[in-house]
Amino acid sequence: MGEDTDTRKINHSFLRDHNYVTEADIISTVEFNHTGELLATGDKGGRVVIFQREPESKNEPYIQGEYNVYSTFQSHEPEFDYLKSLEIEEKINKIKWLPQQNAAHSLLSTNDKTIKLWKVTERDKRPEGYNLKDEEGKLKDLSTVTSLQVPVLKPMDLMVEVTPRRIFANGHTYHVNSISVNSDCETYMSADDLRINLWHLAITDRSFNIVDIKPANMEDLTEVITASEFHPHHCNLFVYSSSKGSLRLCDMRASALCDKHSKLFEEPEDPSNRSFFSEIISSVSDVKFSHSGRYMLTRDYLTVKVWDLNMETKPIETYQVHDYLRSKLCSLYENDCIFDKFECAWNGSDSVIMTGAYNNFFRMFDRNTKRDVTLEASRESSKPRAILKPRRVCVGGKRRKDDISVDSLDFTKKILHTAWHPTENIIAIAATNNLYIFQDKVNSEMH
Amino acid sequence: MLGKGGKRKFDEHEDGLEGKVVSPTDGPSKVSYTLQRQTIFNISLMKLYNHRPLTEPSLQKTVLINNMLRRIQEELKQEGSLRPVFITTSQPTDPLGDSFREAQPAFSHLASQPVHPTDLVSTTPLESCLTPASLLEDDTFCTSQTVQHDGPTKLPPPAVQPVKDSFSSALDEIEELCPTPTSTEAVVVAATEAAATTDDSKDNSSESNVQKSEGVQESRTSESKLMDSLPGNFEITTSTGFLTDLTLDDILFADIDTSMYDFDPCTSATGAASKMAPVSADDLLKTLAPYSSQPVTPNQPFKMDLTELDHIMEVLVGS
Repeated sequence: MGEDTDTRKINHSFLRDHNYVTEADIISTVEFNHTGELLATGDKGGRVVIFQREPESKNEPYIQGEYNVYSTFQSHEPEFDYLKSLEIEEKINKIKWLPQQNAAHSLLSTNDKTIKLWKVTERDKRPEGYNLKDEEGKLKDLSTVTSLQVPVLKPMDLMVEVTPRRIFANGHTYHVNSISVNSDCETYMSADDLRINLWHLAITDRSFNIVDIKPANMEDLTEVITASEFHPHHCNLFVYSSSKGSLRLCDMRASALCDKHSKLFEEPEDPSNRSFFSEIISSVSDVKFSHSGRYMLTRDYLTVKVWDLNMETKPIETYQVHDYLRSKLCSLYENDCIFDKFECAWNGSDSVIMTGAYNNFFRMFDRNTKRDVTLEASRESSKPRAILKPRRVCVGGKRRKDDISVDSLDFTKKILHTAWHPTENIIAIAATNNLYIFQDKVNSEMH
Repeated sequence: MLGKGGKRKFDEHEDGLEGKVVSPTDGPSKVSYTLQRQTIFNISLMKLYNHRPLTEPSLQKTVLINNMLRRIQEELKQEGSLRPVFITTSQPTDPLGDSFREAQPAFSHLASQPVHPTDLVSTTPLESCLTPASLLEDDTFCTSQTVQHDGPTKLPPPAVQPVKDSFSSALDEIEELCPTPTSTEAVVVAATEAAATTDDSKDNSSESNVQKSEGVQESRTSESKLMDSLPGNFEITTSTGFLTDLTLDDILFADIDTSMYDFDPCTSATGAASKMAPVSADDLLKTLAPYSSQPVTPNQPFKMDLTELDHIMEVLVGS
């Protein structure tokens, strides 16, 4: 008995301690569906966990908005590429919800190579009283059937069923970094390091290559595709970002193969900040169209930028995420942190942007007031319904109480994946193996 | 070597330095710039050659690191002091080399080897090359990182020892068999091709970038060759430049891509400069299996393969 309780204690501490997180539990993507009712996360173990927002309670309006686990399923399994003798990780790189068209929900999930379409359905009734089948579905011995009955539907406990509908395999030689469902709701695209493919959601055995930047000789390769997304309203437009910091807007009406971009968004390098790492830190890790479709949001290593689709020469807004790291780039290069792929997100009205940082910090920038805030996602500081305190990283000698110095930032605790509810001020933050969901205080401004 | 570099002018690069590293004063900034560049160069090489072999390395990362190396190359080329750095990717094959490799962490021979193969023992540039990035930046979070350089790069001794031995002896045999341009040029390539001797696998093609150096000349040609030997080909990121460090895994897990069919062994085999040729994976497996697995009968199968190697050497050396 004594041993048992001890074990439990140890396990408990394991759960709480970030250092003992198994690799498979690390969250690798977060995505709200189009209504915000569902939230899906993918992890390195190939699992998808769907959370559902609890229905509103009239007595306690504050309770509304809590997300609870709705369904969990294994989306991808580790595979082995025999041709290359390499493992294909099961890690879920991206999840995208399809617009809901009937009672069922559908989502796409992808690992490095294979995209899968999943259907999520609810069942709360089951048929009973078949004439030829028994309860388990086995055929009855016909000699025992003496009378006919009408089968009936009986209520049962709610069951969420997730079934694979399509598997889009063999479309990518390199690692898939983005998928994006088109506004026509019939097609989607998938981007890897060098190519972008266009798929029909119902057809798995062929896809159209719409971008291919692979040079004839791979030794000439200096640039890769890092992210890609369809325009939210114009089904012919999409954008992809590159490791050299540029954005290319392509129009599929122009030609079948969009190797020639319609617009190239690029900011000239600031000579005063030139260093060995200029290219690496300018590599775009995420690109997102605003809900309005007018702007694009990009994240590079040190900044987030807002681009106007009508101005290619430079971003209209640039926000520093953690500029104090600029003097640490060599070390961040050495420990590979400089290659971390931070994502970024818009709020529902395109007025606030959010992105992650190190030390379980994440940043928000209000585009109108130009105010910014650093918040922390951690178990220690966030009890249910607690209010998040703004955090500050101190750079110079002056250090206020509660400030944290640059040198004590924990670079293993990084917030790469964030998502914003499509209409409300609810955000989901993935911090290693923990998912934090924060909600704006009722009837209050964000800051 | 670094000292030499420090005396040169870096007018256009000085303003591009990272804040803390460079003081505005003249002399030290040049030194620290070269030092930093060297450090970054070494780290970059480390990153390219050391990754988890089981999964495919991120192409984005590889490309960015390669661009970094290219940039530094360009700078060095403009300064005309390319030589000291680029010996790094080649590996001496004399018996001394083995002991040297045993003694030194992989980082050091990646980092910089002395120009003359004779003074393999640590020299000043070697030490300065080992300066960890954290020293340059005076921050703390990565100091532990630098220590790890030795750890993961060093192969587990029990498994490696026989491999290396059979390999080096094999190399010696190759040298005897093949007319090597020892006195003149740095790099000779041992590679195999998907010749008629192979069985099935025409699809399983892999490349191995295998090279060794005998000595280095200061000529421009050797410079350009060394440039070529830099890991520019992303399809073969897993193949290393160190024949003696090759394990079965290194070859087995080489990235294979259909684009390799574009690679023409004949054009690349012009003279001693060529470094690579397509190799069928099975072929390599066959060739190298004796050395990577237990050396039960290490020599006998090798003799058979030597003829094949010999043939390839002929092709490559450009008879």
